[in-house]
Amino acid sequence: MEQIPILEMRDIVKTFNGVQVLKKVNFEVRKGEVHALMGENGAGKSTLIKILTGIYPKDNGEIYINGERKEINSRSDAAKCGISVIYQELSLISTLTVAQNVMLGKEDSKVGFLKRRKMKEEVQKLIDLYGFHIDADAPVETLTIAQRQTVEILKALSEESQVIIMDEPTASLSARESESLFEIIQQLREKGVSIIYISHRLEEVYRLSDRLTVLRDGTKEAVLTKEQINPTEVIRLMIGKELSEATASNQLCHSKQETVLKVKELTRKGVFQNVSFELHRGEILGFGGLMGAGRTEVMRCIFGADTYDSGEIYFKGKKVLGKVSDMIGLGFGLVPEDRRNQGFIPLLAIEKNVALTNYDSLAQKGFVKGRDEKQLGIQMVESLDIRPGNPQIPVGNLSGGNQQKAVLGKWLSRDLKVLIVDEPTAGIDIGAKDEVYKLLDNLAKQGTSVIVVSSDLQELLRVSHRILVMRKGTIFKEFASGRITQEDILMAASGIEEGGK
Amino acid sequence: MRQENVRRLISIGLLLILLIVFGFTTDNFFSGANLLNILRECSVIGIIAIGATMVIITGGIDLSTGANLGISAMICARLLYYYQLPSPAIIVIALLIGTLVGLLNGILVAHFRLPDFIATLSTQFIFRALMLITAIKEDGSIVNKVIKDRGILVWGGSINGVYLVTIAFILLAILGQLFLKCTKPGVYIYATGANRKSADLSGINTARVKVAVFAITGFLCGIGALFTMGRVGSVTTDTGTGFEFDAISAAVIGGCALSGGRGDVMGSVIGAIFMAVLQNGIYKYNVPTATQLIVKGVVIVLMVIFDSVYDQHQQRQIMEKARQDEERLVGGEV
Repeated sequence: MEQIPILEMRDIVKTFNGVQVLKKVNFEVRKGEVHALMGENGAGKSTLIKILTGIYPKDNGEIYINGERKEINSRSDAAKCGISVIYQELSLISTLTVAQNVMLGKEDSKVGFLKRRKMKEEVQKLIDLYGFHIDADAPVETLTIAQRQTVEILKALSEESQVIIMDEPTASLSARESESLFEIIQQLREKGVSIIYISHRLEEVYRLSDRLTVLRDGTKEAVLTKEQINPTEVIRLMIGKELSEATASNQLCHSKQETVLKVKELTRKGVFQNVSFELHRGEILGFGGLMGAGRTEVMRCIFGADTYDSGEIYFKGKKVLGKVSDMIGLGFGLVPEDRRNQGFIPLLAIEKNVALTNYDSLAQKGFVKGRDEKQLGIQMVESLDIRPGNPQIPVGNLSGGNQQKAVLGKWLSRDLKVLIVDEPTAGIDIGAKDEVYKLLDNLAKQGTSVIVVSSDLQELLRVSHRILVMRKGTIFKEFASGRITQEDILMAASGIEEGGK
Repeated sequence: MRQENVRRLISIGLLLILLIVFGFTTDNFFSGANLLNILRECSVIGIIAIGATMVIITGGIDLSTGANLGISAMICARLLYYYQLPSPAIIVIALLIGTLVGLLNGILVAHFRLPDFIATLSTQFIFRALMLITAIKEDGSIVNKVIKDRGILVWGGSINGVYLVTIAFILLAILGQLFLKCTKPGVYIYATGANRKSADLSGINTARVKVAVFAITGFLCGIGALFTMGRVGSVTTDTGTGFEFDAISAAVIGGCALSGGRGDVMGSVIGAIFMAVLQNGIYKYNVPTATQLIVKGVVIVLMVIFDSVYDQHQQRQIMEKARQDEERLVGGEV
């Protein structure tokens, strides 16, 4: 039985600087379905979405809403057609309240004065209708990331959207928070809202979507129904080759090599308590846990970026009390979680970003050795295969995966003893992910110790030699031998011991 | 409690402390005449600060307000002296010039995409220079002519001891606060400053918001020019010098964050009164009057330190809340 699709995009063509990014793409969404849009970075997903939401004009093709042909030339056109987007980077106004955010741009007013109470009540009604746990009067800056995302969804719902586009909605959510988002998605679907779901986390896509469209190199590769969705098949369609990603669980083992880093009862009041662990030479130590478990904060303290209240950190048996610059001097490196704000400087070229951590060797008596700097840039672009392969391009203009490679490049030319990577593959495509994993493997083989903080369970299992799970600011469980599954980690992160409920 | 509320309590507390200290240590501080005088002193700065507040909430800054007030007053003084224009015409011209200068700032910022700081620094220079050029000259040297027009001088007067400028200040402050908090454009001013991209995506014309706040500020400078002429009775090439920084200080003491999105007119009114009380009280002590600048500087620094400490505190609270939410979910589901 065929329904009339709520949204149909026909033969969409888009060319940027002579390069055809979309080559006659067809895309169709039915009422009340979760439709995943898959494809590697550069496959044309975001271009397609930007055309749908009126941010880019299309060169050719047609868009039909409920069978009616529409021209979408601006965001407000898209909103009129009932299409809204939940952005990857949340786009709320932090100093305004939930209600003010939801009503932004469509306020009710009477002779110039806002009907504040009425707007608040309306928004609260909407919140209650969907059973969200938010106060319409709370300033957005006091909400958690997960709650802010719910506000974004409320914004879309208040516009009576028929199609909500979610672009990497779980990128900054923990496993549990993602669960509640999935429930919300379920509710939206039951109420007849269609969802276009974009995510690099494959297991979510398999779980949620009713149908799935795969794009590759600007063409539609396939449309799969729920029954046809199969991980290896989707990956094959997306990149045209099978990846090692399908094999999940590694054999865990406790390294017998010397201890490089020893953390003893590290405490930062209200954030984490009595965190103790050892890191061995050439070991990849995974840190699992829910968001807010304190993993990122522990790493920042070890790296000297934040201060702690008590506890000790030993590097090769010697106590360290470092500032960031001291820790870098000792051979530490950090690839932060918030790539865009903390990982690199968007306006600076790749070569400048890479050089930032290396001016101890790139500068002499305060003067930068320009030739060495350029040389290092070229070297990193080549060895990491950063694309486009021009070290003078600002890092901000690269795709997520290539940005992350550039961030890694900041550390790789150093005599690296301990590399801490925090959510190393968040929001980057599968191909680049695999390259990052290989890079970490190689580093470990060469004797660098690596700490991987990740909320991606598959990733933890894929790269770690040993896994620590943090919960509520303490280390809850260690997995050091045997084979374990994603469930084992999730249970530990949720505080459930084996044999428990 | 919300950051705004805590901040409001702190600024009111500081003002009270100042009032108590001066009240008990100086003579006649609480006399009606002195209090009315304090209000008079802060009124022109306060009127400008209403506009400065809006500009700062949009994430901008206006360094040209003093020069704007100055050029408006100077041109009016010249027109009065050479052409004896009637006072209603002078009033309209003062407001017009102020608004036009503000519009110019707004257009430079919104349409030519100059940073606010650079645009208004440049217009400050330009209008300060134009003041020198338009000043009344005899034999090539600048002379300050006394304004004799009653229709202008009346603006320096009072009703039952309350100066007109103070009444105007209070009325405009109430209007400004209502505008910011209870109207659509008001919300848009906050949205523009807190997250301009997102405001744009919500269909808000943030360029227009920018132009509007600068134009409003300019208009208020025109009003300030009228009251300054009325009170002083003449215009010098120094008229309005430094007003821009006093207005910005009032806004910052009152809770505006220069990063935008935060603050309100009420706060800036408290800030303006705070500075006037400080000046008045310290004048009564036998210390160098420059001491008030030190206190002002220290207070501003402390306020901004508070903002950053509070921010960190809030971040911790949010993390704690995220953890509690996790708990709730885990408890309910597994």
